[in-house]
Amino acid sequence: MTLEASPEVESRVVDKQLALVSVEDVTKHFPIGAGLLGGGSAVRAVDGVSFEVRAGETLGLVGESGCGKSTLGRVIAQLHPATSGKVIFQGQDLVPMRGEKLRRMRQELQMIFQDPYASLNPRMTVGEIIGEPLKNFGLARGKERSNRVHEVMRTCGLNPNFLNRYPHEFSGGQRQRIGIARALVLNPTFIVADEPISALDVSIQAQIVNLMEDLQNRFKLTYLFIAHDLSVVRHLSDRVAVMYLGKIMEIADSHSIYENPLHPYTKALLSSIPIPDPDLEAKRQPILLQGEIPSPVNPPSGCRFHTRCPIAQFPICSEQVPPLESKVDGHLAACHFAGQL
Amino acid sequence: MATAPSDYVFQDEFTADSTYETGEAVSLWKDAWRRLTSNYFALFGLAVIVLLLLVAIVSQFWTPYPTWKQGIGPTYGGPSAAHPFGLDQVGRDILSRLMGGAAIALAVGLGTALLSSIIGIALGLLAGFYRGWVDTVISLLINVWYGIPDLLVVMLFVVIINSRELKWIIVAISITAWLNMARLVRGQTLALREREFVEAARSIGTRDVGLLTRHILPNALGPIIVQATYLIPAAILFEAFLSFLGLGAPPPEPSWGAMCAEGYKSLQLAAHVTLVPAFALAITLIALNAFGDGLRDALDPRMRR
Repeated sequence: MTLEASPEVESRVVDKQLALVSVEDVTKHFPIGAGLLGGGSAVRAVDGVSFEVRAGETLGLVGESGCGKSTLGRVIAQLHPATSGKVIFQGQDLVPMRGEKLRRMRQELQMIFQDPYASLNPRMTVGEIIGEPLKNFGLARGKERSNRVHEVMRTCGLNPNFLNRYPHEFSGGQRQRIGIARALVLNPTFIVADEPISALDVSIQAQIVNLMEDLQNRFKLTYLFIAHDLSVVRHLSDRVAVMYLGKIMEIADSHSIYENPLHPYTKALLSSIPIPDPDLEAKRQPILLQGEIPSPVNPPSGCRFHTRCPIAQFPICSEQVPPLESKVDGHLAACHFAGQL
Repeated sequence: MATAPSDYVFQDEFTADSTYETGEAVSLWKDAWRRLTSNYFALFGLAVIVLLLLVAIVSQFWTPYPTWKQGIGPTYGGPSAAHPFGLDQVGRDILSRLMGGAAIALAVGLGTALLSSIIGIALGLLAGFYRGWVDTVISLLINVWYGIPDLLVVMLFVVIINSRELKWIIVAISITAWLNMARLVRGQTLALREREFVEAARSIGTRDVGLLTRHILPNALGPIIVQATYLIPAAILFEAFLSFLGLGAPPPEPSWGAMCAEGYKSLQLAAHVTLVPAFALAITLIALNAFGDGLRDALDPRMRR
């Protein structure tokens, strides 16, 4: 029986109005310098984030390096415990889950990692790596397991003859396919992809993106696709969330984010994308942001972006935290002066 | 979008990629073996170790004379055709005893390395993986244990067990020798548990036992093997020292340390009784350390060229 024909995939709902994963006010703080007497501060990597990922969609999560997007992905995939908040998946809150119960949930919720060199165990063969999830959940053994591994390898564009090779014998693109095959072999519903293409050559990036789209259609997958630049997720995402310094600044449909960004930060990010047309590129006027991204240990008061915002007005922007609220139907932005830049 | 037929994707990519990737297809172990065999000092060590192993095995079935038999020739007899290394203070054949001693030395060396590695690896993995109070307890134990002289521990152990059989000597040395291994494995585990492939293994539902045995331990194996090869000569030396003090294997066991101890009183009269086992001990230790050094260099990825 092929994967597509399996009853799990058949019964999988693709309803882009229905939340598959709800993230509710999630925070993740990493304590630093806590001495014997306590009183240390914390890196507030994710600081009160709420959004939902809808069944069958791709939600792009975009932000600069260090904005907390990878941490958020790991918190949702339950690789880091959240400091507070809820991650509701299939009606259950994952955050308080521990031990065997959480391990069982992982069948449905997989992750693809950024670095295809670091995320594969150098001491295991490709067959062992892709077969390990099946082994962990006792899903298939012996011949049946190797058949499944063969099938998944073929699905992900890998030659099953290379089953007994080690990861270092493959190129970056092939290794990322191995990582994808490992995530896919359990037939999950939801996949968190943490910058899956940013470590790859540009020519390979497109192949991996196409593979992921192909898999999404065939297996009715839902993706949270993390990336550090907007141009990559544009092609792939149904909706896009923009993150800055541990908070979501703007969430909207792909189309409206690119055509009509409301948040000055999103606008600045978009204006920095080079245009592959010399005439248009010459006319492009990037909005240059002032200064560095502030420290997440001690984030700015009020709106976190006010220190670098070209349209900030004082004192409101430095005193009041702008709520993430709907500005135009379904287009959410956290800005007191949304759309005014 | 149109679903691509699954075959076309791999055709494309892997023919292009596999061409330039195959040149590098040398596994770490093959690479290490190549470096080891180009190191002549380490090869000398390996040759001596192999010779020693052969002698030790042969001694279990045949020695020129029984190792315990006294008065087979003149007391303190010098080297001769019948007795190439001469005879000791009670007229035993030193060559025969040397051969028997090789078996004891290797049994103590390998046995201690194995047993103390098992203790050290187990405690190091637990401390490094679980951190928190588990680490606190194990690290405290290691630090306190470091403060207690090894000799005192072994003496107390021998007294309490009230036996000087070889297996108890091995246990006694092992309970003092696991500390460095535990520290090493703890450090390796602390570093490896943060690696992305361990995180990936967790995300696919691997249990803790699987994380430790399939992902962390195999990747720490290089330094562990090197550390274990250093344990062997240290244990042999310690056993010789114990025997010299009269705390090792009881007479008439032909331990090299005991042979030195019995001979040194007559050093001026018949130096060969002491010098032959002492030389055997020295060359064994040099060989094992040379091999250990070679192995460390061979397995150290920074040496990779």
